[in-house]
Amino acid sequence: MILRGRAALALAWGAFVTVVMVGVPLVLRDRLPDPLATHWNGAGVPNGHMTFTVNLVSALLLWGVGWGVLLVLALRGPALSTRLGRAGWCGFLFGWSVLAVGVQASTLHANLDVADWRQAALPAWQVVTVVVAAVAAGVLAGVLGRGGPDPRHDPAALPTMRLRPGQRAVWVSRATNHWLAGLSLAALAGALATGVLAATGVMSGEVVWINVAVLATVALVGAGTCSVRVRVDAEGLRVGFGALGRPARHTPVAGIESAWVETRSPAEVGGWGVRGLPGAGRVTFMLRGGECLVVRRVTGGEFAVSVDDARNGAALLNAYVAETVGS
Amino acid sequence: MLLTLDLNDPRPLHEQVAGTIRRAIADGSYAPGDRLPPARDLADALGINANTVLRALRELRDEGLLEFRRGRGVSVLSRPDARAVLAEAARELLAEADRYGYGPEEVIHIIRELS
Repeated sequence: MILRGRAALALAWGAFVTVVMVGVPLVLRDRLPDPLATHWNGAGVPNGHMTFTVNLVSALLLWGVGWGVLLVLALRGPALSTRLGRAGWCGFLFGWSVLAVGVQASTLHANLDVADWRQAALPAWQVVTVVVAAVAAGVLAGVLGRGGPDPRHDPAALPTMRLRPGQRAVWVSRATNHWLAGLSLAALAGALATGVLAATGVMSGEVVWINVAVLATVALVGAGTCSVRVRVDAEGLRVGFGALGRPARHTPVAGIESAWVETRSPAEVGGWGVRGLPGAGRVTFMLRGGECLVVRRVTGGEFAVSVDDARNGAALLNAYVAETVGS
Repeated sequence: MLLTLDLNDPRPLHEQVAGTIRRAIADGSYAPGDRLPPARDLADALGINANTVLRALRELRDEGLLEFRRGRGVSVLSRPDARAVLAEAARELLAEADRYGYGPEEVIHIIRELS
């Protein structure tokens, strides 16, 4: 199984990197000053230092946090289910390890055989080399480790329905994040209460008004993003954001290639809200985990929105698309 | 919620709307406890008056399918009984038959042949 393969790779490679990062400084310890120079200014003159142990532990922590996150992602699956996810994961694993080892190596090299940390010079080309090597390793690993392309949706398996002449068919649905709705209500109540207290003079001062402004902003932003209204009709797909359904985004039927349902979770797409990588053509408006209506545009991009009863919406959209293509 | 209106259907609009909502509940798209989209959204999408949708919703409430709750909107209370769903399907079948020039008697004849 490919998932197991990548988790095993992360474990083995990570263990190797960790051994190198612990072993090499220990071997060289006799030839290093204590404390070590660990920070340099732009001219390569040292301006910060750490003891041998603190430097070792902080370097290990920096590497270990990244390694841990990658291991969890590999074991928890969904991040590796897309080609983009796999490329990013592999790139980060190797890029991050090269960066961690490179930073440690350049630090040790600068400190090697000097009597005092103030004499440890770090040439700028070493810093540049480490960064370039890390990026190059990341890109290379990403390309090599991305795996096969994402499966295309079989047109025959797409949900659809029959449209009859003289019939008006529409689909209306929505999704709400109740936590966010509750939060914005609470913020609104807080803003009102603080505002009244400030206006009547019970509380005073600039801080109170800043409080009101912050709470009101939270309430406004929350109300604008806590729910989504989705409509499919002969015109196409319309997604309205927030309690008022505005702003709305309209995609005409002519711009849609196909639609289907996918189950996506916030962990998979990277959190709640509008999620996606710019340029990658995959955007998800995630309010809650579960059923998502996914639309593929004729230009190739994908747009997904978490919404209830998505199967019927996808079926109706596909029916309208087929009608446009047929006529 | 998938809603369909037949422009040739002679029945009053609110009855048609009630029929299509009943069907959405019957096919399991909306389970008991689920909230319906706001009446205004349904009306906007269908291009009809919100009062027509509200009238349909009230009819379904009186049938015991929907529940109106202050501040929580309209939610599904129970599934419609099989007879009401079959009646709706039969009505659509008759409408379709009519488009091909078949009358109810001929449709009954076809059903007899099948069963």
